[in-house]
Amino acid sequence: MNPYLMSFLILVALAVFARTMTGRIKLLMALEPADRFNRIKDRLVNLVVIAIGQKRLVGRARERSSGIMHAFIFWGFCVLLIRSLMLYGEGFQEGFRLPVFGHENLLGYLYLVVKDIMEGIVLVMVLYAIYRRAVIKPKRLHNSFEAYLVLAMIGILMISDLLYDGARCNLVNIYHAAGISYLNHPGYGPEFAWTPVARAAASLIGGLGQPALDGLMQAMFWLHICTQLTFLNILPLGKHFHVITALPNVFFKSLDYPHDKPKLLDLEDEDAWENETLGLNHIHQLTWKQGLDLYTCTECGRCKDVCPAYVTDKPLNLFEFNDHLKHELLENADNIIKRAELVRQLEQCRDQQEAEKIKEKISGLNSQKQLVGEVIGEDTLWACTTCRACEEVCPVTIEHVPRIIAMRQGQVLMAEAYPKELNPALKGLERNGNPWGIGYDKRADWAEGLEVKTMAEDSDVEYLFWVGCAGSFDDRSKKVSKALAQILQKAGVSFAILGTEEKCTGDFARKAGNEMLYQMMAQENIETLNNYGVKKIITACPHCLNTLKHEYPQMGGNYEVIHHSQFIARLISEGRIRLKPSVSGALTYHDPCYLGRYNNVFDQPRSILKDVCQGSFKELERCGQESFCCGAGGGRMWMEENIGKRINLERTEEIVRQQVSSVAVGCPFCLTMIEDGMKELEKEEEIRTLDIAELVAMSLA
Amino acid sequence: MKILTTVKKVVDVELNIHVKDGAIVEDGLQYVINAWDENAVETTVQLKEQTGAETTLVSIGGGDNTDIIRRCYAMGIERGIHIEDPALDKADSFIYARVLQKVFEQGDYDLVITGKQAQDTDNGQTGIILAEYLGLPCVSNVIGVEVIDDKHLKVSRAGDAGTEIVEVELPAVITVDVSINEPRLPQMRGLMMAKKKKIEVMDLAALGTSAEEIGCAAPKSEVIEFMESEKRSGGRKFEGDPAEVTAQVVELLASEAKVI
Ligand code: SF4
Ligand code: SF4
Repeated sequence: MNPYLMSFLILVALAVFARTMTGRIKLLMALEPADRFNRIKDRLVNLVVIAIGQKRLVGRARERSSGIMHAFIFWGFCVLLIRSLMLYGEGFQEGFRLPVFGHENLLGYLYLVVKDIMEGIVLVMVLYAIYRRAVIKPKRLHNSFEAYLVLAMIGILMISDLLYDGARCNLVNIYHAAGISYLNHPGYGPEFAWTPVARAAASLIGGLGQPALDGLMQAMFWLHICTQLTFLNILPLGKHFHVITALPNVFFKSLDYPHDKPKLLDLEDEDAWENETLGLNHIHQLTWKQGLDLYTCTECGRCKDVCPAYVTDKPLNLFEFNDHLKHELLENADNIIKRAELVRQLEQCRDQQEAEKIKEKISGLNSQKQLVGEVIGEDTLWACTTCRACEEVCPVTIEHVPRIIAMRQGQVLMAEAYPKELNPALKGLERNGNPWGIGYDKRADWAEGLEVKTMAEDSDVEYLFWVGCAGSFDDRSKKVSKALAQILQKAGVSFAILGTEEKCTGDFARKAGNEMLYQMMAQENIETLNNYGVKKIITACPHCLNTLKHEYPQMGGNYEVIHHSQFIARLISEGRIRLKPSVSGALTYHDPCYLGRYNNVFDQPRSILKDVCQGSFKELERCGQESFCCGAGGGRMWMEENIGKRINLERTEEIVRQQVSSVAVGCPFCLTMIEDGMKELEKEEEIRTLDIAELVAMSLA
Repeated sequence: MKILTTVKKVVDVELNIHVKDGAIVEDGLQYVINAWDENAVETTVQLKEQTGAETTLVSIGGGDNTDIIRRCYAMGIERGIHIEDPALDKADSFIYARVLQKVFEQGDYDLVITGKQAQDTDNGQTGIILAEYLGLPCVSNVIGVEVIDDKHLKVSRAGDAGTEIVEVELPAVITVDVSINEPRLPQMRGLMMAKKKKIEVMDLAALGTSAEEIGCAAPKSEVIEFMESEKRSGGRKFEGDPAEVTAQVVELLASEAKVI
């Protein structure tokens, strides 16, 4: 068309784009390290399934229509990439084709069909997207000018390309009618037999003569190119950066454990206390992956839609959370980059005086804003229950919880600013190894008269039954411990408990940012466990399960840990216990976050429940992967909840709506929360809240 | 203002305490700061925050008190003294008060803050006796403190008939109740830093006195024997028709409890 203009446009656009991108990448490189370059094969699988397959968009029943819409726009873009290359080629040489996509190849024709139909679909999807934003207005969406601008641009890209093709189609026909080959090549023309959408566009402009068609083609061509290059340069500036960063972000997502485990802080390191490097206190302490997360957030709001804190009107809006962090990050970009350079210099510096100077410069480059307090509100930070619902639905696999925990660590360790209601529980932990603060010597009282051995009495057993604080001290949960002991005895399992030697695993302390108490608890427990040579652990508490299984290895505690629901399911399948359905009426199940989303245990509880239930088993509206938190996780069990509606009520109401006569749980904290909810709604007589172990014990044949 | 705060290490009363042959079974016991003294420390630190007062803490006996003194450092206390002398093994409130008197006389303190009693003996004497020995005014059972000026405090105390508001001239002794405040947890950073901070450990000689002067040989009170407290038997729950239940309860009150 016009090689000079084409070259000019490409050069300018790419230069600007490269400049923006270098800035963004340099900033990421200046952030803290994160080890995400291992296990390439697993990462590629994630890339294919989650990003390219758009799993979290089309896979969620609740969001299917918008998911399908997005997936088609995305797939359309992938298909159209090849077409774009050819269009750029046409800028230099009219009628340009990529080698394998030329007239001679079937592939060329096949590609054209797919491209043509995709273009049509994308156009329809864009119209639907605009309609959705403007008319349906889903609550989770945050309507912005940028959103409409980008949709409009995508629309323009499709329309211009279709009209370009349409005009060419008509031109070819005019040429053919006159017995001339278009572009002096007989190969042009037949391809339009394959492109119904382009032909439809052609028929729209059927009345135009040759000069008008030539003009239209030119206009559409340059409109398309200019829009595309502008689009490219708009992407990195806002939420549409995800078009570029989503693939790498998914590629670099956490493997195995669903997100970064809380960092094992070195609390003995005096410099760390001095330099405030414990926890996340300053924006430059984000890891590059967390930075990439911020770049990638699409502001789709799926996270807040499922967030128990947001849904019950707490001031925790994850999309804003990301947005505020992103702005803080970008505002400080220059300083962060400079800072990283100085840190490198400092590491190499051997001269004391010089080093002092550099240190001073470094501290001068910290952000002026308090990360918690000015960028992120305190109530926001402490509202999270660490339930991970947000992370599970995020289409681009952003990890919110590790950031929240790290910021809490900063608040607790460095700033000493945290909800003081936590104090009694923390003190109880410190003194008596349990948040209730009850004398540690009463830890095994629940087992009195049950002939349950302690490890001290006999450690030659196969399993350790880890009772946990709730199971030991909370009157309601003690019944669950008894039920489980009864089941284990009935099945002839060789097990013992630690008795008064057991301490809280420290889960709530860690999730509330108190790494010091967590490490105290973990260290003592690991010592005890390793002393007895414990290998296999059964527990009825998903929080204990998660900590023992995933977090203790950081400190040298490696055990095979299994939830009682998994173990009971195994006992049933091995025929070691037999059940007769004895639970009357309909039954439902509330998935505990730390069992389901954190540890992927969904099926065993359900299979057990179906065995004990005489009536029907009903799923809750929000179940499985998308179960709704009871409100107790992340240390929230020990804090006041005086903003908005109470989370446990929201969940209990959902259970009540199912019209069941029992609800089963698999976590002592869920048990407390939901039973409290039932009491508040005056439903505790009608709907019993029971642990899986209790239901099984009732049904032992 | 210079404040002297007293802290006693006591057995954790959350635990079941067992007695064998008239003595407490030490096995499995753990020791903590007396709860009332934690309130005294909190009161002190708050006054420090308000007025910039100098804070000193003294703890008597208890063997190794490093832990609890470090905790107090991490709560905000600046200086810690630990008086440890075998002669104090059988000390009672009077002897403690004498030792505290010596400590007081070595510094030039404006205010002594003690917990109103200790969780282990529940005597509630030491602070008051100390004031008597020092010839200073004493306000006990304090539930609120306000600084008027360098020389005066406005103190609320829980009296028999209600809250009494007292103006007291310094130097003085106050003994505080648990309801005065919610003690803070030690600062994490403070706990780390406290490890490096010195604790002044002294025996009676270092304090410039002797067992004779203090009267260690003849305590006014003495523990002769420990006895285990009786276990409270659990309550009983009655269910069913209200009329029947009432009849049952009345019957039991008469036959078993013998109160009617
Ligand atoms: S964090 Fe994920 S789910 Fe939430 S708005 Fe951003 S992209 Fe959407
Ligand atoms: S973890 Fe749960 S409570 Fe926390 S932000 Fe995510 S959805 Fe909300």
